[in-house]
Amino acid sequence: MTAYFAGIDVGSTMTKAVILNDGVVASVIGSTGPEQRRLANKVMEEALKRAALPFAAITYVVATGYGRINVPFADAQFTEITCHARGIASLFPEAKTIIDVGGQDIKAIRIDGAGKITDFVMNDKCAAGSGRFIEVIADTLGIPLNTVGDLSLQSKNPAKISNICTIWAQQEVAASLAQGIPIPDLLAGVHRSLTERISTMVNRLRVEEAIVVTGGGAKNKGLLKALSEQLGHEILVPEEPLITGALGAALLGKEMAQRAKLKDAPLKTKERILEEIEIF
Amino acid sequence: MAEEQKEAKPKKRMTATQAAASIGPLVKEFITGTLRARAEGKQKLAYTFIVCHHEEILRAMDVVPVWTENFAGICGAKRDAERFLQRAESLGLSRSLCTYALCGIGFDQWREELGQMPPDSPWGGQARPDVMISTGQILCDPRSKWYQASQQFMPDVPIYNMDLPYPMFQRDQDHRDVWGYYHKYIVKQLRGLVSFLEGQTGKKMDYDRLRELTDLSDRTWNLIDETYELRGAVPCPMGTGDAMNTMVPLCFMMATQTAYDFFVNLKKELEEKVARREGEVQQEKYRLMWGGGLPAWYALNDFNYFNSKGASFPVETTYRMVAPLTKMDIPDTQDPIEHLAWRWLGYWTFWYDKAKKRPGSEPDVERLINWIEEYKIDGIVMHEAFSCRTWHVGLIWQLHQLAKIYKPIPVFVAGKGGTKEKVYRELPSLILESDIIDITSYSEVDTRNKIDAFIETLESNRISKAS
Amino acid sequence: MNGREKGILDTVERYYKDYGLRAKDLSAEGKKVIGYMCSFVPLEMITAAGCIPFRVRGNIHEPVTTGDTLLETIVCPYYRSCFDLSAKQKYEFLSGLVIPHGCDSMVRSYSVWSYSLPFSYFHFVNIPTVCAESSFEFFGAELNTFRKSLEKFTGKRITDDDLAQAIRVHNEYRDKVRALYEFRKADPPLIAGSEVTRVLTVGSSLPIGEANALLDQVLAEIGRREKTLLKKGPRLFIDGACIDNIELIKLVEEIGGNVVADALCNGARDHFPHTDVGGDPVDALARRYLGKINCPKTYRENKAGTFEGDTATRFGDIGAYAKEFKVDGAILYVYKYCDPFGFEVPARKAYYKSIHVPLLHLEDVYSGGTMGQLRTRIQAFLEMIG
Repeated sequence: MTAYFAGIDVGSTMTKAVILNDGVVASVIGSTGPEQRRLANKVMEEALKRAALPFAAITYVVATGYGRINVPFADAQFTEITCHARGIASLFPEAKTIIDVGGQDIKAIRIDGAGKITDFVMNDKCAAGSGRFIEVIADTLGIPLNTVGDLSLQSKNPAKISNICTIWAQQEVAASLAQGIPIPDLLAGVHRSLTERISTMVNRLRVEEAIVVTGGGAKNKGLLKALSEQLGHEILVPEEPLITGALGAALLGKEMAQRAKLKDAPLKTKERILEEIEIF
Repeated sequence: MAEEQKEAKPKKRMTATQAAASIGPLVKEFITGTLRARAEGKQKLAYTFIVCHHEEILRAMDVVPVWTENFAGICGAKRDAERFLQRAESLGLSRSLCTYALCGIGFDQWREELGQMPPDSPWGGQARPDVMISTGQILCDPRSKWYQASQQFMPDVPIYNMDLPYPMFQRDQDHRDVWGYYHKYIVKQLRGLVSFLEGQTGKKMDYDRLRELTDLSDRTWNLIDETYELRGAVPCPMGTGDAMNTMVPLCFMMATQTAYDFFVNLKKELEEKVARREGEVQQEKYRLMWGGGLPAWYALNDFNYFNSKGASFPVETTYRMVAPLTKMDIPDTQDPIEHLAWRWLGYWTFWYDKAKKRPGSEPDVERLINWIEEYKIDGIVMHEAFSCRTWHVGLIWQLHQLAKIYKPIPVFVAGKGGTKEKVYRELPSLILESDIIDITSYSEVDTRNKIDAFIETLESNRISKAS
Repeated sequence: MNGREKGILDTVERYYKDYGLRAKDLSAEGKKVIGYMCSFVPLEMITAAGCIPFRVRGNIHEPVTTGDTLLETIVCPYYRSCFDLSAKQKYEFLSGLVIPHGCDSMVRSYSVWSYSLPFSYFHFVNIPTVCAESSFEFFGAELNTFRKSLEKFTGKRITDDDLAQAIRVHNEYRDKVRALYEFRKADPPLIAGSEVTRVLTVGSSLPIGEANALLDQVLAEIGRREKTLLKKGPRLFIDGACIDNIELIKLVEEIGGNVVADALCNGARDHFPHTDVGGDPVDALARRYLGKINCPKTYRENKAGTFEGDTATRFGDIGAYAKEFKVDGAILYVYKYCDPFGFEVPARKAYYKSIHVPLLHLEDVYSGGTMGQLRTRIQAFLEMIG
């Protein structure tokens, strides 16, 4: 009998869900918005709909992400670090260094040949060290976020942004714009500034190829190019970077079931109720 | 790539004196001199810090100092410190720590990893040393930890870390009751340095030469004090902007004839300027004291900005690491090392007696008050550099205490019954915030706004000053 | 649950939550309670003077407000909180304060403390940074200066016998703390890390005689525990400066780890080294506080000539504890703006690697608000080593 496993990644800006058995049968990226965390169950329901499965058919549910605690429809919760590592290792067996560039934080994870985590480092203390930095600058320049990466690639002469405080950098960019510095150059400068900080953090681990970048930042070609240059290595990117956490969570659930089977022990599940998350 | 990374070189800064203007090539010569010495291999090179009171010993033993704080300052002034700071962060060091040390450790790790200087190192880079000499006691924690951290990448380079304590100011205690055993300890630590260097160089200390050099630095200390006193003239002939250059012979060339001659020339230049009534600012409206904090090395132009508003800086506490021997009552001794130890104690306790005589005063506050009067100061500027606890903790309190116990500015206010009353106000003060070499902490726009607002306060004091 | 057990651990909980309760009473009775911070203040001297040493704490749940008007925000955040509480008169029952040369934050803010707080007694004890024979000589003289200032304050001489007696009693406390740590060796431990921290925190607020009595009762209670209340989980070592509250350790326990050993002020750093008995008591104190306390603030010369040899000398006690308490992983917890620990992070990391103990390095400010961020990192670390 095919067993199904689900992973739910309740992030700071959106919730993602993955259902799999031998392969992925459904994956959903929920919408953003202030209520998205509370309404994570809706994303789970959408995934079940796409997989044409009732909730009871899911053997094990693992939650991860910022809102992973208190998910009423999960059996267990693990950190995004463990889940991203699992997810990426399954997509890229050769991966040794994983960088998750999120909107609010950035994580770097080292895994060994067997996909096991050996070290990690994260930055979640400051907007200037996250994808938020790019968002704020894009907003300042009045440019849609999904175009800044490509635009930055047009630059022939990246500007030097010396301020790392997001607010001051905004000022600096606005002033530079008024002085006639072309937008692609400003954007390239901003990307370079962020990737310098990312690579400083990443270099605290022993960087080894293959390097995989995931998270929202992985969709930004300008960021990828700048990061690759900073690290001095090639970078791989999954087809859908936003779901690697949920994928890893589901895979973890599958592993736990397999382990229980091997030990001939029961798989400890919880009483799961598919309803809204209570936010305290 | 490298060209894109660096900014256009900052224009050469204007200074008020020719002496200050001559410093640039002098500093460059330090660096190239150490690289030359490294290549020739005839002298021992020592990483070391300023204010270790050991220049006489180093020069007597012909050891070449590599001033690591200076190199970090140069990286900062050239706005090329960021890549070394990032390197240090990658090792696990926090950006909240002394950025001089982060720059130095980052540079050292990179140089050792490459087996050669990092690409485009400022002025050729920091030479690999034979020994590292430090003192941290009471002065600065990073100075005890910096070389220890760098030694991870240079395990063959020995460190001599010495204690040079001084008694803290305690209101219920006379420092003379304790400075006997402080002196004994300092002497032992300095003698330990001599033994260490004798072992490393294979030479014995020439105590006659040491005595000569000690005498020379004594005379230099007195000369510097006499020279800087001239800045009390109205208008002030030389400001802190210049002093951040003239600190070079003071801090990096003490116990050399060059340093002595430099100040002879500077003194002469200032005497001439005073005679001509030539100020650092053409129309001097406000006289300010730099009351504390290391400068933001990448933003020394801010002094010129102050000048453009009519503000001069006759005096600063920063890098005035000398005090007149003639005014210290330290015991006499023929032994140069014992004398150096007394001089150290005399310097650090210089303001203690005076501070005890004024209610609510404290040595740093006492120094501010004395210099406000001696240099006729209208306002105080301080700089909070976030990465340096040594020189920047206590500044807020000093200004607070100063305002509490010292109100010298007479102003007229509307009194009861409509009459004019004369009250006394404290000096206006300004605290600027950034760092010593981490330029990412600095906003020129913000800083200049603050300076403008401060000037407005000074101006309103100037025009409403009661006679 | 046994009625007596509820008794002593309840008392500990009460004294932990209402910190200084006992000291307030003693002060009202006319006893001189002297506040201190940092492992380097020679407590035996204060006890020998007939005063009560009281460790000043901060409060991670109280935002720093008053303190910031006088003290820069770039000092150690723990120290900043201590100053804030003092400025808010939370410690008005103290007769005085002793501050050692522990670090720049302490040295550079000494004037701020001694001028803005209303205590009648302030003293600064200069601790050498290096550890040469001349350093012990100097430190002994400095300790005698401290002794004289206490004599002046109390109006009573401190004899060598007084010191010897104080040393004996303080050593007893150290023995009892060691005995308490023995309960951590079981797997799972018989006593939780958060319980140990509570007990030691409370202990540092009591006169040494009462602290000894408290430890006796606690030891008896834990000794009566037939089985542990804790579950098996990764055995963790916490390395860092002063953690004067249980929040971090509680968080680790919530996530499923057991904190079994440490190198913390208010932990093994403070309590394991003994003061030698017999001989000159001042010299013994100098040797204990400068020579035996292992703190990054004390510079230990690299006599080995290699990096590995250097780290083995500097951190060897950690390796010994890790073996003794069978540690699975370690957390290096460093405050932002902390120079002594901050500069040692790369060397400590290398050392833990050399003894094959996985390490999580956390940089934190002193605030309850960061627990969420710490939770993710700690949980990921436990998932990694589990």
